[in-house]
This record gives sequence, structure tokens and C-alpha cells, in this order.
Amino acid sequence: MGNCLNTPTADDISLLRGSDSQDGSETANLGPPPPYQESVPIYHPSPNVSRTVTQLTEEEQIKIAKRLGLIQHLPTGVHDGCCKKTKECVICMGEFILGDRLRYLPCMHSFHKDCIDDWLMRSFTCPSCMEPVDAALLTTYETNN
Amino acid sequence: AELNKHPVEGFSAGLIDDDDIYHWEVLIIGPPDTPFEGGFFKAHLTFPKDYPLKPPKLRFVTDIWHPNIDKTGDVCISILHEPGEDKYGYERPEERWLPIHTVETIMVSVISMLTDPNDESPANIDAAKEWRENKSEFRKRVARCVRKSQES
Repeated sequence: MGNCLNTPTADDISLLRGSDSQDGSETANLGPPPPYQESVPIYHPSPNVSRTVTQLTEEEQIKIAKRLGLIQHLPTGVHDGCCKKTKECVICMGEFILGDRLRYLPCMHSFHKDCIDDWLMRSFTCPSCMEPVDAALLTTYETNN
Repeated sequence: AELNKHPVEGFSAGLIDDDDIYHWEVLIIGPPDTPFEGGFFKAHLTFPKDYPLKPPKLRFVTDIWHPNIDKTGDVCISILHEPGEDKYGYERPEERWLPIHTVETIMVSVISMLTDPNDESPANIDAAKEWRENKSEFRKRVARCVRKSQES
């Protein structure tokens, strides 16, 4: 079967950096500052729960750290106009434009990276086919090994 | 937030104030062959700032008697519940809110809720009890709401 996925680039650490940047003093030697953020990142460990990093319970922190780790294992790429099938991101309903950063889920659905990453932190399911991403990730590992 | 407008049978939707895209008013026509037939029910959809990652809230402003609409008019259906894993495993994540829902898909769910109430998770316990045990009284009460909705 044809595959027009871009090979994943080096692990994207911007997510991790985003969560580290809570503590201003430690980010000093991490290179350039993280991109502008509206305010302190808010996490949604479970439905109807919104917390900043300092308000998270230990259990929630572990859950979020695991989630961030898993998300970073999902391939990313830049829209090069080759995938004729998907033309728009179903989350923001915006068309994919040449150069947009995309993320691909194991079920082969693709979205703007920023749109899907925000979503996956809330629910680890593909918005298009509702496939749980963790189960799909495991299947991918199994078929690859 | 991008919200689309498509004409769909059974309801119409628009902004309450043209300068505020987060507040919509929808007019739902009571579906045929249900006790709600003939009614014109007004409801307000309120979108959160982080839509479409979070669902909007839907509240009927016209009086309505239904097992899944509480007495203040708030609609309780699973697709309007915040996403994520539910500790109690009560609803699977895929039954909850998904960012691909639109005003149109929400309204389709609401119309199907009117046609087919879910009495397993009632928001209005009295209405659910009546719907289950005393259908004729339920219909009478809904008919009163329908008549009232036609006057305004």
C-alpha cells in the first residue's frame, strides 16, 4: 500500500519544554525560549477538571507525563500537498496549507499538529474514527516487530 | 472557532448578537410522530473559548418537559459531555464530545433525543418516571408545552 507519510523528524521536545517552563529558573539553559503562550498551560486530566501544573495531583502528573511521552511517539510532518485524500483538519476545519505542521495518528488520520496535540491531552481517541490511540499504537508496535 | 451553517430539516440556527460568535440561538421544530410535534422550541447554544476542544452547552429557553432536559432547560446528552476518560467508566470516550461535532450534528442528536428519550440517565427524574410509567400524563404535559411554544 502506498504511503505518503513523511519520516518522523527527531523527537519533538517542545511539548516537554512547554510543561517545564512553569519553573522559570530552570529553562535558562534550554536554548531559545518556548514559543509565546497565552498564559500558564492548563491541563485537563479528566472531564470537567482544569488545572495548572502546580494544582495537579501526583497521579495526574504521571498520567500527563505518560500522555506527553506517547504523543511524541506519533509521527509528525509538514504538509507537502502530496496527500490528496485529506484536505482539511477536521478539528479547526481549516484547509491544510503547504508547510503546515501535521501529526499522523496510527489510524492514518492526520490533523494540524497543534490542533490534535491539544485534543489528545484531553482524550486519547482519534476524533475522526474514535479509535483509542493507545490501543492503535500497540498494534503498530506489534506489526512492526 | 469556526462554526458552519448548513440548512438541516427540523431546526434553524443563528447568532443572538452578530458580534458574539459564542452565543447562538436555535429554533427546534418538534419532530413529527412524537409528542413534541408542532412545537417550536427555542434554545441557546453557548460555546466555550476553547471550542472545539470542549463542547458547547445547550439550554432550552422555551419550557419543555423531557427526561433528558432538566428543569432549568439544560440538555444532558452524552455528546455534550466533556471529553476524556471517565473515572467511573460510565460513558466511553467515543460517546462523549468530539471536536468534529458541529451545530448540525448536535442538533441531529437533540432531535433524536426528542424522538427517543434515554431514561437510563435522566436529567429530569419526574419526567423520566412519567415517561416510563404514565405515558398519557407525559403526553398531556408535553402537549401543554407545545401549545405554549406556539403562542410565543
